[in-house]
Amino acid sequence: MNRNITRRGILRTGMATGGAALLTPFAASRIFAQEPEKPAEIIVRAWGGDWVAALKAGVSDRFTEETGIAVRHDLTEDNEIQPKIWAAVAQGRIPPIHVNWDTTTNASKSALRGVTEDLSDLANLSNTTDLAKPIGLDGYPIVNTYGYVYVLAYRPEAFPDGAPKSWRDLLDPRLKRRIALYNDGIGFHFPAQVAGGGSLEDIPGNMDACWEFIREIKNQQPLLGEDPDFTAWFQNGEIDAACTISTNALAAKKNGIDLAWTVPEEGCKFDTDGMWIPQGLPENELYWAKQYINMALSKESQQIWLDGLGLPGVVPDLTPPEGLENDPSYPTKPEDFEDLIRISSKIQIENESEWFAKFKEIMQG
Amino acid sequence: MISRSQRVIFWCLVWFCIVILSVPTIIVVGASLTGGNIITFPPDGFSLKWYRQIALARDLQQAFSRSIIVSLICLAVSLPVGTLAGIALTRFRLRFANAIQIYLLLPFTIPLIGSGIGMMLVFGSWHILGNIWPVGVALAVINLPFIIWSVSSSAAALDSDLELAAASCGAGRFETFLHVTLPGVMPGVITGGLLMFVLAMTEFLVSLLLTDARTVTLPVQIYNNIRSIITPDLAAVSSVFVLIALLAVWLLDRLVGLEIFLKSK
Amino acid sequence: MPRDSEDRSFRYPLKWRIMDGLNAALDLLWPRRLGRYTGWALLTPALLLVGILVLGLFQIAENSLHTLDTSTFLPGEEYTLANYRIIAESPTYWRIVWRSLLGAGLTVFFTLLLALPYSYIMVRTNKAALRKTLLIVLFLPFFIGQVVRAYGILIVMGSSGAVNDALGLVGIEPIRLLFNFPAVVFGLVQYMLPFAVLMLAPALTAIPRETETAASSLGANWVKVFRHVILPMAKPGLVGAALVVGTLSLTDFAMPAMLGGGSQDFIANAIYDQFFRTADQGLGSALALLLVALGSVIAGVVIAFFGAGTLGMRGRK
Repeated sequence: MNRNITRRGILRTGMATGGAALLTPFAASRIFAQEPEKPAEIIVRAWGGDWVAALKAGVSDRFTEETGIAVRHDLTEDNEIQPKIWAAVAQGRIPPIHVNWDTTTNASKSALRGVTEDLSDLANLSNTTDLAKPIGLDGYPIVNTYGYVYVLAYRPEAFPDGAPKSWRDLLDPRLKRRIALYNDGIGFHFPAQVAGGGSLEDIPGNMDACWEFIREIKNQQPLLGEDPDFTAWFQNGEIDAACTISTNALAAKKNGIDLAWTVPEEGCKFDTDGMWIPQGLPENELYWAKQYINMALSKESQQIWLDGLGLPGVVPDLTPPEGLENDPSYPTKPEDFEDLIRISSKIQIENESEWFAKFKEIMQG
Repeated sequence: MISRSQRVIFWCLVWFCIVILSVPTIIVVGASLTGGNIITFPPDGFSLKWYRQIALARDLQQAFSRSIIVSLICLAVSLPVGTLAGIALTRFRLRFANAIQIYLLLPFTIPLIGSGIGMMLVFGSWHILGNIWPVGVALAVINLPFIIWSVSSSAAALDSDLELAAASCGAGRFETFLHVTLPGVMPGVITGGLLMFVLAMTEFLVSLLLTDARTVTLPVQIYNNIRSIITPDLAAVSSVFVLIALLAVWLLDRLVGLEIFLKSK
Repeated sequence: MPRDSEDRSFRYPLKWRIMDGLNAALDLLWPRRLGRYTGWALLTPALLLVGILVLGLFQIAENSLHTLDTSTFLPGEEYTLANYRIIAESPTYWRIVWRSLLGAGLTVFFTLLLALPYSYIMVRTNKAALRKTLLIVLFLPFFIGQVVRAYGILIVMGSSGAVNDALGLVGIEPIRLLFNFPAVVFGLVQYMLPFAVLMLAPALTAIPRETETAASSLGANWVKVFRHVILPMAKPGLVGAALVVGTLSLTDFAMPAMLGGGSQDFIANAIYDQFFRTADQGLGSALALLLVALGSVIAGVVIAFFGAGTLGMRGRK
């Protein structure tokens, strides 16, 4: 991307936003006298569907209302935007986006690589819980914005005796070819370590129990996919149970599929998503990108945004969405976290490719 | 005379082809008419609401017009380049012919992800990323063998004595090319051009790596939407494509006749 | 065109003069004595265009010689062949390479098996309407794109899809048709069929109908006619189609990803995983180069033995 394009982009979007800004030119310039020049728009990477709808309602629309800066959403997958940003920073180009809404694991990789901007001066950070602070990184090269659980989602009609109590219940012969996991095994490694008789303290040193259990699961011939696949497979009646993020189950449920989820006795993986800003933006755009993330951390925005996602946020005293109070996929109190497994993102990102390769080795056999 | 056993066997295979080629298309068109919120077949009630939705979606329309531009650029680059190369490969004796052949097959032997990443790095270092035209050039590159192949299959069938005859009648080299060689390879140029255009309209992986939020094209938009959740509006978009395809095929048939694809001379 | 000499001054038509100008310009820019290089001159734009890919390949080759340092997520400084060693020592990658080769081979076989009768009937029929219908059936799937087509297959062949419904009518329990190796090959065949037919049809058209008639009047049955007349004469088309279908399916990403259920990866899927999921661009690059080498060697062997077919080179005489 070069200057030329940015300017053209401004002209184009200026048509849409210019009107509102023109009405109050004097007031605006007086109030924001010390503020850097506003870009016509900022680009925020987001997941599509319900995810981006929730972000738009909770953060983007409020941001535009308050600043007059339009927000454009880039729906490229987090995995796929990553090499684009890395290449842009390495080649000294302006990155293709202003704010990346990302998984904490992926975001941490970018932070370690040194392509992220420091966020520790955001005003709203003072009102956040510990969840907002990335573990294993210095300061705030990224900021976590909410947590989520890799639940065991299932179709109640396939489990007439009630919710599965253990991950081992997936080994039931009648579930052969009827279960699904992420294709890199993400979310499943840690409960599998427990279900295989191992201990969480041994991660990453000794994960034999995990691999042993995954080998047993392999005999069930699970389907392997990504977020949208789970929703589609539940909808098309391909599977009865899956280890997936609760939001996907919630999405299928909203589409009229009878679904429930549970946290089995071995526990479920808890993880976070976050936001960060790539390096290489012009000063003024960097300032406004930071304001965007700052707004995402405000209580008002978190309430609306996370109601849409059905996930617990990083500011205290949010009202849980209807039906999710005390739900295992919506942990807020310390005791809610007892059944959940949280491993530092440092251990995760250092070992992830190895775990991934091992999982593939078993599953591609 | 076609014997009975041959007819039975051939028609069985042809019907199988017709079924596997058309059924997914029919399903997608059918699913776009659903009244429900998920893609199913048979559709869940009849409704045009998804068409209304895409008619109102400005981002889809912008992505669509960008795709048209990208495909036209792809065509503008690949038509002359591919035509000349196809002629060169068939009408001239070149050394290292097999090596050239393997070199020109690189767009097919390099996986699209590799081509995408490679071109992202190259275009990035040239500081032209963020424009629309490099996407068109990239799509011309990755599909180039198609047009070279279709031109050279036409050119191979062209009798080179015709060119000699033209030359001996006093035609200059340029006239010979314009009046003899070019009309001779025209069927190949048209087939190849259509392929290039359509493939550029539907390519998503390389385009994904070369576009950004301001230059996103329709297939990338569709691909990204499929990655989140698949709603019937995508089936509606695809159905619009089918409609355009039917129109294009009809137009082509009126203008030059569909049989041009079967001709080798 | 009659000479235009009505007035005192004798003038050639404008078109002639333009032509002469262009010819003169051509003579100036590209003198006739360079004639034996004309082929190369015509080829140069294509060589340059593909050159963009080669530049990218150089970058990828560079990447493949560095390992990823997971404490900084930057490629290491020193040059090493470690990524290639990882691939060579991994039974998983060998299995994936073998699966890709087998998948591509089967796809070529089945695609040609279907494309041959399809093109034959399309070319030989006397009914214009039938020919047009067959052509339209061929073209429509092109416009929908690979991903949406694969999604169509997912719906039709799913556990509660139309095919299983039909099987249910004759009393067969629903079976899992998708998410296995045959499903991926099926998807690839469906995807490649139009390409193959479009490449075969011109080659079949070039075979005079009389040749066949002559062969059968000499007592050959249709199988013999096909084996000894049609197949040899259509060889350029067959080789061209096989090269295109083979290389494209060897490097395919979408079909194994969507129809394989996650356990039927091809090499392109493994490359995708390294580039996009584990961010190990070095290993991904090494895999990509391996795939390019594999595809090029196979294409080279085919071309060396059978010629490049309709892909070009001194057409049949």
